[in-house]
Amino acid sequence: MHALIIDDSRTMRSILRRIVTELGFDISEAGNGEEALTLLEDGLVPDLCLIDWNMPLMDGYTFVTRVRADPRWRQITLMMVTTESEHGQIVRALAAGAHEYVIKPFTSEAIIDKLELLGMVAREVPA
Amino acid sequence: MTGTTVDSQIDELSELDVVSVVEEVWATFLGADAFMPLIPLAPGTPAPADPCWDAAITVAGAWQGIIMISLEAGLAHHVTEAMLGLEPGGEHSTEDVVDAVGELVNVIGGNIKGLVPGPSKLSLPMVARAPIRVSSLVELVRLPLAWGEHQLALVVGVPAGGDSVEVGT
Repeated sequence: MHALIIDDSRTMRSILRRIVTELGFDISEAGNGEEALTLLEDGLVPDLCLIDWNMPLMDGYTFVTRVRADPRWRQITLMMVTTESEHGQIVRALAAGAHEYVIKPFTSEAIIDKLELLGMVAREVPA
Repeated sequence: MTGTTVDSQIDELSELDVVSVVEEVWATFLGADAFMPLIPLAPGTPAPADPCWDAAITVAGAWQGIIMISLEAGLAHHVTEAMLGLEPGGEHSTEDVVDAVGELVNVIGGNIKGLVPGPSKLSLPMVARAPIRVSSLVELVRLPLAWGEHQLALVVGVPAGGDSVEVGT
């Protein structure tokens, strides 16, 4: 499985990278939506994108709409990971095609729970 | 700002809510270190001594305001190490500190934005190794805090009379 982490903060990319690497994902990173779209146009097809909302050049919402408008990328799972906590924003992102929405700050458990709901990771059941 | 007064904005934001946001963000980002609690200092406690890292983020829309945080330099480095998953004293650059402190104010600011009326938009964070100055600010909340031997301060404010917040160093 391959995850593309899209956030203008290197610190946040580092935090997310540690979490999803431990889950066995290979990682690519982009500092904004435009950079991420370039990676996709160049042939990267991640299974999962973790997307911040507020970024320079192209925000996460625009990235989601652009990805969802292109049939080549239909199978990519999109998860917003953002400080945007207004109900209207959450509804907007989900309506645009994001599969899940995580509000910062988050614990690693919160990310794992969402990925489990999406069927992207399987939690080990204690014997 | 249409139809909103500074008084009504004061009513909309409680200090307890802001403390709760800061504690949650701190606990999440500081990980194991967060077992050492943030201790509120007495009102009127002066801002942390220089040198400090200051960061600010503005909210524009149905609510207009600014969220600022000031961290003693040693604390800013500690926060950076914790957020980047480095060992204490681990090698990091000034750019790393700017990015980590910026993300800290971004997440605190985003969560405080969730406490006030929307819709509104969060700016990108501004970070400086110098005091960030804001013209004509009415402080709604000022939280002087201690974490171990370090001090930090958080301010939430609104413009005194204008429609937007002007920020500079």
